[in-house]
Amino acid sequence: MPRFLTDFIQACMDGLLTGALYALIGMGLALIFGVMRIVNFAHGAFLMVGMYVSWVLFDKFQVNPYIGFLISGLFLFVFGYLVYRALIQPIRDRSDFMQILMTTGIALILVDSVQLKFGADYHQTIIDLTNRPPFSFGAFTLNRAALLSFVIAGVFIVGLQQFVVRSRTGQALRAIAQNREVAPLMGINVTMIQGFSFALGIAMAGLAGGLLLPALYLFPSVGEDYTLKAFVIVVLGGMGSIEGAAIGGLVLGMTESITSAYLGQQWALAVDFILFLLVLSLKPSGIFGRQRA
Amino acid sequence: MRTRLIAAILILFSAVCLVTPMASAQGTIKIGVITSLTGSQAAFGEAHKNGYAIAIDEINAKGGVLGKKVELDFYDDQSKPDQAVQGVSKLVDQDHVVMLLGAYSSENTKAIINPVSTHQIPLIIPTATADNVMDSKSPWVFRICAGANDYARATLEFLKHNGSPKTIAIVYEKTNFGQANMQAMKEQATAAGLQVVAVEEYEAKAPDYKAVLRRVKDKNPDVVYFGSYLLDATTLMRQSMEVDLNPKYYTSAGTGFAAAEFPTPKGAGRNAEFTFSVSQWLPDAPWPGSKEFDAEYFKRFNSHPQYHAMQAYQSLQTAAIAITNAKGTDAAKIRDALKNLNLKTSAFGPVKFDNGQNLHTVLITQVQGGKYHVVFPANLADVKPVIPAPRWADRK
Repeated sequence: MPRFLTDFIQACMDGLLTGALYALIGMGLALIFGVMRIVNFAHGAFLMVGMYVSWVLFDKFQVNPYIGFLISGLFLFVFGYLVYRALIQPIRDRSDFMQILMTTGIALILVDSVQLKFGADYHQTIIDLTNRPPFSFGAFTLNRAALLSFVIAGVFIVGLQQFVVRSRTGQALRAIAQNREVAPLMGINVTMIQGFSFALGIAMAGLAGGLLLPALYLFPSVGEDYTLKAFVIVVLGGMGSIEGAAIGGLVLGMTESITSAYLGQQWALAVDFILFLLVLSLKPSGIFGRQRA
Repeated sequence: MRTRLIAAILILFSAVCLVTPMASAQGTIKIGVITSLTGSQAAFGEAHKNGYAIAIDEINAKGGVLGKKVELDFYDDQSKPDQAVQGVSKLVDQDHVVMLLGAYSSENTKAIINPVSTHQIPLIIPTATADNVMDSKSPWVFRICAGANDYARATLEFLKHNGSPKTIAIVYEKTNFGQANMQAMKEQATAAGLQVVAVEEYEAKAPDYKAVLRRVKDKNPDVVYFGSYLLDATTLMRQSMEVDLNPKYYTSAGTGFAAAEFPTPKGAGRNAEFTFSVSQWLPDAPWPGSKEFDAEYFKRFNSHPQYHAMQAYQSLQTAAIAITNAKGTDAAKIRDALKNLNLKTSAFGPVKFDNGQNLHTVLITQVQGGKYHVVFPANLADVKPVIPAPRWADRK
């Protein structure tokens, strides 16, 4: 196989591994947006909290992050639900502007509280798996930790998608997304379901945070980039479509990986946003077409 | 009634006047320290703090300076240059320190040079290696550590005497520190007849350098020279293993590659083996006080110090000597005392400032068996260098 081809395939595979985590983050945001029309500017901050939960478990109790991420997810599910009841529900029918202020405020409070509690130091989570030689086949190599994260993320992506499509609660979620006025007339408890979907969306960010921990440096503002990336993902996939967000995440991961392989790492974020602007201006319904009703 | 009130005010006023100078007279000599206690460079700020702590206790145990206790006033720059600049104003204008030590990084140190010069306060730079921190030629600025050009020179000298490789790739983090070391190595390597086959920068914050390392691997260099901080150094070595990058020499501009944590399981662990680094000091350095400093450091902090801690320690010791020689805390007198200082020996070797720059010997170390060993210059070496570094596939 010619060299340029193996390089390209390697970059694509690395991109897919990151992309699966992006997909998880994007799906969480899409779920919240689809069911509640709430634009969650605190998504990256919740992800960061998920990372810290996992890190504290690892640092204080030697819990492997590949178990800790589940606790991160659970913790953020409960935390997300409480945030919804206390802060989001009271303003859910107010203007978009109000929601943006509220979620941005939540993000600031989360980041600064974590900084107050844990300081601004950078932490690195080194587990045995990250230091092992990579998994290799032919000319290609894959980081073992990233591969494991990819597999786990894949399970949750499919699980979430199936849940939304098949379960009764999932149907209720979709009913609210389609028409919030009619849904309660069909006997759906809108407040309950919205609280649940907000919590579920935040839990996805928490799971992703736990899975990202071995791959990233941890510091209080680590989530900022991910809030922005989550928006790019959701826009790529068509606002509010969770399947679209899954594909959007994979596309974004690959775009970044190919950009850093050929143009240099410093261009990755710039290319993200060029892609974002192109999609918004040329095909606002997202690359994958069908806008959700 | 009215006279009484005036009298009362006068008494109160004179009492305040009396008390204030008394407080400062029996008080202490305050030295300001700017360093990165939090943020991305907190590991090095911690080393600074520990080094300063040992120095201050030694100084005060000997009765302080000019018969007064010395007190350190720390300002945490959070690893951010704008914060370091604020630190100068805070320490000088509000806290009235008599001189400054710091900052940690080259980026933050560069930022404080101008404010230091305008405040006309002596500054000793402990660790900033980018040579542009000395560009201002400000008479108030003194640097105790060797710089990026010295690093490149020492590394090339070592390579020349150990196999004389032909090609080099430079990989550096893109702030002042990395850029300065890249620039110095690029110029000097070319001058020394090495071919620079790749120059790659990276953003330290985003820990995926595999694309950068793959591009380096494509060029198949004999030598890789890294300009990196701690977390990126550990990640670079792990990912070098992942992409199977196999130069004959992994060399580096110290810092991350010379941090205490780097060769331990908390850092790069086994992946750190065989990496070369420049170093400014080691516990076995042949200078009186080196071993004692190491022992004291180990007793207090349960780890062995790297050169960053020693440089902080020696900066404060030097400051104390300068203030003693100046016979007072007048800024211009301290500055002149530093200018005229000629320490024949110290735990950090001889200290003498030539246009503000201390002429310091740079050592080359290699990680062998999880420990730093001096391998160059030969008269100071404690082991022989392992060359070439074994290929990743052949490492256990």
